[in-house]
Order: sequence, then structure tokens, then C-alpha cells
Amino acid sequence: MRQTLLLAQRALREARRTPDALAPTLLIPLFFLVVNVGQAGRIFPGKSTPFLHGQSYAGFQLPSSLLLAGSFGAAALFLVEDIEKGYFDRLRAAPVSRVAIVMSRLLAESVKALVLTAVMIAISLLLGVRIATGVGGFLLLLLLTAAWAVVYAGFMQLIALKTRSSAATQSGGLVFFPLLFLTPSFAPRSMLTRPMEVAASCNPVTYIMEGMRTLVLGGGEWHRVALAFGVVAATGALMLALNVRLVRRYD
Amino acid sequence: MEATGLRKTYPGKDGDVEAVRGVDLAVRTGEVFGFLGPNGAGKSTTVRMLTTLLTITSGTATVAGLDVAREPDAVRRKIGVALQEAGLDERQTGRELLTLQARLFGSSAAEAKDIAQRQLELVELVDAGDRVIKGYSGGMKRRLDLATALVHEPEVLFLDEPTTGLDPASRLTVWDEVRRINGRGTTVFLTTQYLEEADQLCDRLAIIDGGRIVLEGTPSDLKADLRQREGGDPTLDDVFLDATGRTRTKVAGEVAEVQA
Repeated sequence: MRQTLLLAQRALREARRTPDALAPTLLIPLFFLVVNVGQAGRIFPGKSTPFLHGQSYAGFQLPSSLLLAGSFGAAALFLVEDIEKGYFDRLRAAPVSRVAIVMSRLLAESVKALVLTAVMIAISLLLGVRIATGVGGFLLLLLLTAAWAVVYAGFMQLIALKTRSSAATQSGGLVFFPLLFLTPSFAPRSMLTRPMEVAASCNPVTYIMEGMRTLVLGGGEWHRVALAFGVVAATGALMLALNVRLVRRYD
Repeated sequence: MEATGLRKTYPGKDGDVEAVRGVDLAVRTGEVFGFLGPNGAGKSTTVRMLTTLLTITSGTATVAGLDVAREPDAVRRKIGVALQEAGLDERQTGRELLTLQARLFGSSAAEAKDIAQRQLELVELVDAGDRVIKGYSGGMKRRLDLATALVHEPEVLFLDEPTTGLDPASRLTVWDEVRRINGRGTTVFLTTQYLEEADQLCDRLAIIDGGRIVLEGTPSDLKADLRQREGGDPTLDDVFLDATGRTRTKVAGEVAEVQA
């Protein structure tokens, strides 16, 4: 644990010194939030759209943007840079736990995601969004986004460890786009066409998005929040196990 | 340090490729041992096996009396490693890198701070210690790399082509460092392509070619042996070319494609 914390501190220092890498993770999701609300906001007026629970469409779109913000996988990009530049081998040649090498990056990723999510929510408040479930819901929203960021960074770290190539790892990040669009991102699942509804129901991101929406819009469907945490816990455990397996077999 | 029948194979497109084909080595405590060979001869692969970075396909190796395959973590505590690519995180300062390395080896925060200062003084980087490494010159990076490999005062130091790409002045500085480190009793295992470097620094050396050791001895004995056979006043370059069957015009080896 001590080594994990030491290496996580180093990863956070690295993030502080590369603000140009952090900026897109904030600006691009905000761009999508503004554009999506601009395009569909008038189709779904807050006052007459039941699934918005009296809020504006921005509240419905915020979870999609938060998920996008958590899907840049910067941890994996820094990891593959360590591999390419030899620092990864320096760590492997020292008595450093292999688990600490991968866990530290995920831990740092969760801290970055907490900060970024808080900033994004603060900005969305200026756009008229209200977190209907209050401070508790806000904290759960932070946790859920940070947990998703860890899951996705874990997935990208698998690509980094397997391919040892920054180009391949960056391409891996694009997987998120089909994952994000095969969800009820513009309207609830019940309003989708049948094939799209089936596809969205098979996509774990759908359940995280729906849990987040419950936290933002209210509506009392707490089982959706529980399901969202269940999905990130299960996928997180899977990613962690695969990361540990791969880093231990790294040759 | 001892290696017996050390072998490494990689899966290739047309079957396994043998990078190292049964290397036997014995390095005495406190000596500077040179490991020479042409490109692709198996030098770095051997070093990576001895430093626990690569699994050993077959054979055995002990470093500082510890079995590399069975006790890798214990071996890591006894060795310092500076590989071909200086393994530095260029977004940290030199001081931060050294402090982190010392802490990863178990030092407390206060101890690590002292060690970092001491190492910076040793490699004459105190003035640059609080600057990010990205701005360092090649020679400064190499010296910092060496300092990082030494934070825990290892018994054995592995240097894989420590002066490749350095200008002559930086090369001489690194040589002085190696002599100083060895003078403190640290065993040094050094790979190099520069025969003058081996001649200057090494007590004994081995030449590897095609994954096998083809010659071993002290630089002076190897030169004397060739003088006896061929006459003249051979240099270590001549010894190397004689041992590897190369001439001054034929130096390219076969290249086999391997998969990691």
C-alpha cells in the first residue's frame, strides 16, 4: 500500500505538470454537453417532459458528459510512456510490487476524476442543472464517475501492457464512442427503437448512465443507483484482476 | 554472480528464435566485468535475465548468491540497474526521482531526502537537482540514471551500454563514476560496444556472439594470446574481430524477427 501511495503521488505530480493533457478531458465533455442540449433541448422541454422531472434537458445530458470525461484513460497513456521510455523497467528492476505499479495509476486517476467531475458539475450548475438528490447525491455522482474513470483507465492499461505502444493505446480509447452511443444518451431506453433498446440493454454503460440520471434528476429510482454501483464494482474488479495478471506476466 | 546454461527463446513467425543459447558466466565479487558483443549478439537479453526483467527459458543464474528465478525480489534489493535507455521519468525533478527511488527501496522520507542530496552531490547535479529532467543534457541524464541505480547501495551494478550516444567528455565522466563506484567494492557488470571502454574499465571480459560466449579472459591476456597466434601488437578491437569471426568490412549480422 505504501508503494502504491508513493507512486500515485508521483502520478498526480505528473498530471499537475501536464495541464495540456488535462484540459481536453474537461473541455470536450463540456462542449458535447452544450452542443447536445442546444440540439435537443427544445424537443424535450423541462416543464412538459415527464422523464426530466421538471429539470432542463441539460440535467439529462450531464451524465453522458461525465462518462465521457471519465473515459480519456490518461493513466494508460502515461503508463505506456513509462514503458516506452524505460521508467517502467526501472520500477520492475526494483523491489516494487507489480500490483502497486498498476494500482497507483488507477488511484491517481480516481483522484483526478473526482476533481474534474466536481468542476464539471459546478459548471453545469451555471447552465441551470440542479442535483435533485442533494449533497448526498452529488457525492455519489462524484464517486460513480471516479469509479467509472478507474474502470475505463483499467481497460486502457490492459491495451498499454499488452501492446506497449502509445499509438495502439490511444486507438483503444476510441472504443468508448460506440459504448457511449449504444446507450439511451438522448432519450430514455423506453423511447428507443427496439434494436437500439436491445443494444443499449446489453451495454453496461447504460446502467451507469441511468444511475447517474437518477442522482441528477431525482425520481426516486434508487435501485438504478445501486445497479450502477454494482456494474462499476463488477467491471472494476474484472479490470483490476486482468491488470494484475498482465503486469505479473509482463516479460 | 554465476550463470549456467542460460538460454532465452522468443516465439518467432517461423518457430522459436534463440536470443541466448546457453551462456555460462562467473563474475567475481568486486570486479568490473565487461560483456561485449556485436549488435543482436544477446548482451541486453542476458542482462535483462540477470536483472529479473526477463524470464529465463532454461539454465540457472545467481546474483549476489541469490537465485534470480526463485528469489527475484531479494535479487532486486541487491542490484542496481542502468539500462541502455536511461529509465527516467522526465516530468520529475532529479531530486524527486532520487527521493522516490530511495523510498521505494524502503527508506523513510527523511532518509530519502538525505540520500537524494548525497547522490546529487556525487554525480555533481546539485544545481540542476530541482529542475525537471526533461531539460537535462544526455550526459546529465546518464549521470542521474547512474545515481538512481545506486540509491540503495547495491552489491552488484548492471550497466547496459552506459556511454552509448554520449559525447567524449560525458563518456570520460561516466568512466570516472564507474571506477569510483567499483572502488567502493561494488561489483560492476558492464555491456558495451566500445572496446576502448572495456579496455579502460574492465578487469575481465567475455565476448558473446550469436547468443554464445566465444571468448573470456582479462583484456591483457586476450591480447597476449592473439599476439602469440598472429604476431604484431593487437588491440582489443583485433581480439573482438578475431573472436567473432568478423572483418573490418563485414560487421552486419543476420536479423531474425521475434515477437515479444
